[in-house]
Amino acid sequence: MLFSIGDYLAGMLIGVATTLAVRSIVSPGMDMVLAMLVGMAAGTVVHLLLGLVLAPLVGMFETMIPGSLIGMYGGMLFGMRDSMAAGSHTLASATAVGAIFGAFVVLGVKVYNQILRGAVFEVDY
Amino acid sequence: MDMDTQRKWDAASRTLDLMSFAENRRIGPYKRKLFSAMRGATLMVAAGTGNDFKFFPPNMHVVAIDISPKMLERAARKAAAYSGKIDLRKMDVCNLEFPDSSFDTIATAFTFCSVPKPVMGLRELRRVLKPDGQLIMIEHVRSAIGPLGIFMDFMTPLTSRIGPSLNRDTVGNVQKAGFKLRRVENVYLDVVKIIEAVPDNTT
Repeated sequence: MLFSIGDYLAGMLIGVATTLAVRSIVSPGMDMVLAMLVGMAAGTVVHLLLGLVLAPLVGMFETMIPGSLIGMYGGMLFGMRDSMAAGSHTLASATAVGAIFGAFVVLGVKVYNQILRGAVFEVDY
Repeated sequence: MDMDTQRKWDAASRTLDLMSFAENRRIGPYKRKLFSAMRGATLMVAAGTGNDFKFFPPNMHVVAIDISPKMLERAARKAAAYSGKIDLRKMDVCNLEFPDSSFDTIATAFTFCSVPKPVMGLRELRRVLKPDGQLIMIEHVRSAIGPLGIFMDFMTPLTSRIGPSLNRDTVGNVQKAGFKLRRVENVYLDVVKIIEAVPDNTT
């Protein structure tokens, strides 16, 4: 139970940090492809740095896998969104969007994990 | 002896216990269940700092090897606390100093993400495993889930410098090395897997 709460908090933290990092680099009007690449790079760095801190607390895989989706792919989305000025207008709303995005990714990974978990091959020798 | 690999894991030995603190609690029950299948003469490959010894069945006699002397120094205390007997030996899995058909069980835990030549290492395990022996593994592998697999390919050049490769096909490598699969179980997504195999005596 505590680990599960930790997973969501870790995802939300990575989401918030990614959103803020991207927002500090990408400005409205920036070339969208460049913004996407910059966002991806920023998100990757953020999730790797936070991952080093969070992995001992919630687990290496449980941090790295949702973290990579939030940081790398979320960074791309936030970068494109900010370059189009389609993002949140205030820092508070950007932070909230990052946290919600992080929590949703963690939820998605947990649901998918429930589907995939278990024996996939078994024979008697 | 692969000195680059030894140096890398000597350095990693300082932080391994810290970094795997939560993982051991989350994946520990799977390891305990997997290792409960240990029988007869048993070899543990890549013992690390001995974090997995507590998941061994009680009163076993296990030979545990690792390429890193620093890891083995840390493992010694945990080996001493084990109810059975654990012999620690510094050895490269790609060049095992055991005769053919020495072991009934060979166990690994997050090992073949870190062996530079995994098929060669697995072939050595095949050599030292008895024809009716078993290989039991818990390993992380490349995900077949598109975005995750791409991320793992992207990150492996970085992670392999300081630790494991993220994009290994260990299930395939086990088969390439002359084993046939007995059981494969997904533990976390399709990334962390339990792999049980036996020698394919027809090859």
